[in-house]
Amino acid sequence: MSNTDDIRWVTQLTLFGDKNAFDKLTRKYQSPIRRFFMNLTMGDVPLSDDLAQETFIKCYLNITAFKGISGFSTWLYRIAYNVFYDSVRARKYYEDIVEKEIDNFYQTQNEFSAEKMDIYNALKELRKEEQTAILLFYMEDRTQNEIAKIMNCPLGTVKTYLLKGKEKLSIYLTQAGYGK
Amino acid sequence: MENKETDKWLNDYFSINKKDIQDNGFTRRVMQKLPEQPDRSWIVWLCACIGIVLSLILGFSTGTLQSALMQLQKIPVYYLLGAVFCFPLVGSIGWYWTSNKYI
Repeated sequence: MSNTDDIRWVTQLTLFGDKNAFDKLTRKYQSPIRRFFMNLTMGDVPLSDDLAQETFIKCYLNITAFKGISGFSTWLYRIAYNVFYDSVRARKYYEDIVEKEIDNFYQTQNEFSAEKMDIYNALKELRKEEQTAILLFYMEDRTQNEIAKIMNCPLGTVKTYLLKGKEKLSIYLTQAGYGK
Repeated sequence: MENKETDKWLNDYFSINKKDIQDNGFTRRVMQKLPEQPDRSWIVWLCACIGIVLSLILGFSTGTLQSALMQLQKIPVYYLLGAVFCFPLVGSIGWYWTSNKYI
């Protein structure tokens, strides 16, 4: 399915309020958006699904704001990014207290390989912006320009996030015994 | 680990672990939670009606429509039928082409 389909479905939704078109858009993008949140939340499935749901509802409510300058997927990731940071800000006050308990709970709830644990632990060493840039670049195959649009920052800043992120990951992975 | 090595490790790691998440009712749950939006399709029909009325007024007032009808009367009926039946054919080919199903 191409970008042409996206434009067609967005047009049907905007002009006719066609919910079937939005159903098709959600079906197409549910997997990458939920995976993006899953990695940002270090494998927290219920939280990822809640955030993904909020993202799609915001997308539906603000579909007329989509100008088509960037691709629909880039626009959707931008909403997802904002939803995630809003949630981070909202949870910031109590996050530190319960973080360890939540981690322990979800790590026993989900299937975790040693390598997956390592990458999640490695990602925790990064700043949230670096995590996002690394995940968008490596996991979601977004270009640096697209990441700049998603994160609403200059291209140079994205390059810095990626570079710093890679450096920190490199140090962590070396200490964890990879690449020896 | 060198930067290039990290790059390769990350590329390998993420490509292996990049799995599609099954829908499992997610889309249905999103659709159920969507708020009701007012039906805006009347705007399209209103614009279409205004367009048709304006075209008819302009067409008749300038005489363009009358001359077009006169021209049509001069064309043999078989040509007209051929042209009319061409539409579904051209439309079908276009549809097959865009959906990439048969061509």
